[in-house]
Amino acid sequence: MSEIEDSLDMHCEIILSQFDARTPVLERLQEIVDQKISHFLENTHIEVFATASRIKTRKSLAGKLALKGERYASVDDITDLLGERIVTYYADDVELVASFIERTFDMDWENSVDKRAALQPSQFGYLSLHYICRLPRTLYYDPAMPELNEIRFEVQMRSALQHVWAQITHDTGYKTDFEVPARFVRSYSKMASLIEIADEEFVRIRDGLDEYRTTVVALMREGRYDDLELDGETFQRYLERDPFGPLNERIAAINGAEISRGSYHPYLRVFHMMGFERIGDIDRMITHYSEDAYNLATAQLEGTGLDIISGTIGLQNLCISCIIRSGGGLRQMRSFITIVMGERFNSDASAMRFIRRAASVGITSPHEDVAPR
Amino acid sequence: MDITKTIDDGTMHMAVKGRINTITAPDFETAIQEDIDKVTRLDIDFADLDYLSSAGLRVILGAQKAMAGKGEMVIHNVNETVMEVFEVTGFATILTIE
Repeated sequence: MSEIEDSLDMHCEIILSQFDARTPVLERLQEIVDQKISHFLENTHIEVFATASRIKTRKSLAGKLALKGERYASVDDITDLLGERIVTYYADDVELVASFIERTFDMDWENSVDKRAALQPSQFGYLSLHYICRLPRTLYYDPAMPELNEIRFEVQMRSALQHVWAQITHDTGYKTDFEVPARFVRSYSKMASLIEIADEEFVRIRDGLDEYRTTVVALMREGRYDDLELDGETFQRYLERDPFGPLNERIAAINGAEISRGSYHPYLRVFHMMGFERIGDIDRMITHYSEDAYNLATAQLEGTGLDIISGTIGLQNLCISCIIRSGGGLRQMRSFITIVMGERFNSDASAMRFIRRAASVGITSPHEDVAPR
Repeated sequence: MDITKTIDDGTMHMAVKGRINTITAPDFETAIQEDIDKVTRLDIDFADLDYLSSAGLRVILGAQKAMAGKGEMVIHNVNETVMEVFEVTGFATILTIE
């Protein structure tokens, strides 16, 4: 028995023994509530930073009773014997989680606290929802354990940033305004204001990205490629249309080859190096240079018996043809090789071979000084 | 085809001499696969490799896949003939070649 427990009066000892008797029910309640929360999160696809649940330890309860045991007539008056915590990435997801909790459990509104509403407009501090709930009989009922529907439990909901703020302030002992000097309370408030701004900004960024993605999908569907700036998002969406598929199929047919999946990841850098700014630039490259790319593949593969090719071969040959035809020459070809094959690779020799092979099928530079020798 | 193989401190060093074709590719594959679980890096030296067929390419791609996520596979000293095979099939962009 701990020192705190030794110091408790008879009233508090009775509450502690009530708690001991209630532990099996709390453990069962914890299982049920955990399961309901995780099912909800799975079904709604809300990504959460963390979920946690705990049953108050005997030592922690004894500490609470030592401080304010006179407030509780029995163990039933203590509402956080079982505590659940749901930490979302985004501040507005707290509302979605809260709405689920309200719909799912019986709410004890009198004891639930919206810390956000508790702050004055000019104050910055702890922003979290603390709901006190019961398990409704309609959701779960076990005649052998009717207390399951009577015990109250607490659900805390907050964003990840709010969680960090709460953890730091809690760990350093800031629980009330009296415990640390005023200037430090002010510093905590300043940090809370920054976190509130950051939370709002993250939501704004996410919403902006969602809106951008929706616009990209619509423009892509309409084929308005020149209205689409070339970036990771638009390129990914463009790839979903399999723009290089027909060329790859033609190339594969040369030797009846299998097409092995390749990565287009480095090609975004290649396009920027080539001066492409819009998805339309890639689309025009396909239109203008597919025949060159196919002829180059034919010259390279026909008669070799090579019956496996990379899924990037079509794009590789398109880039080679485009670079040469646009007068990019050896310098740009070397940059292309370095980007797609890596810094450690001997790009000079490889660039020369690509230019030489292209020249053999009539793909040449418009400038004499970069013409292959 | 001759294969020299050593395993040292989590790295498999392999040197291949001759031709990797339909007939020899299974031996090349066996030499890699029998020890690939023991290593986090695979170094293949092709300095004395004269020829690489599609069968050999498939073995190399299989090894690359096996090493993905647990380490690295690096191909060294590739001559022009073999390099052309990697280039014209598009696999030069997938493999790490030094």
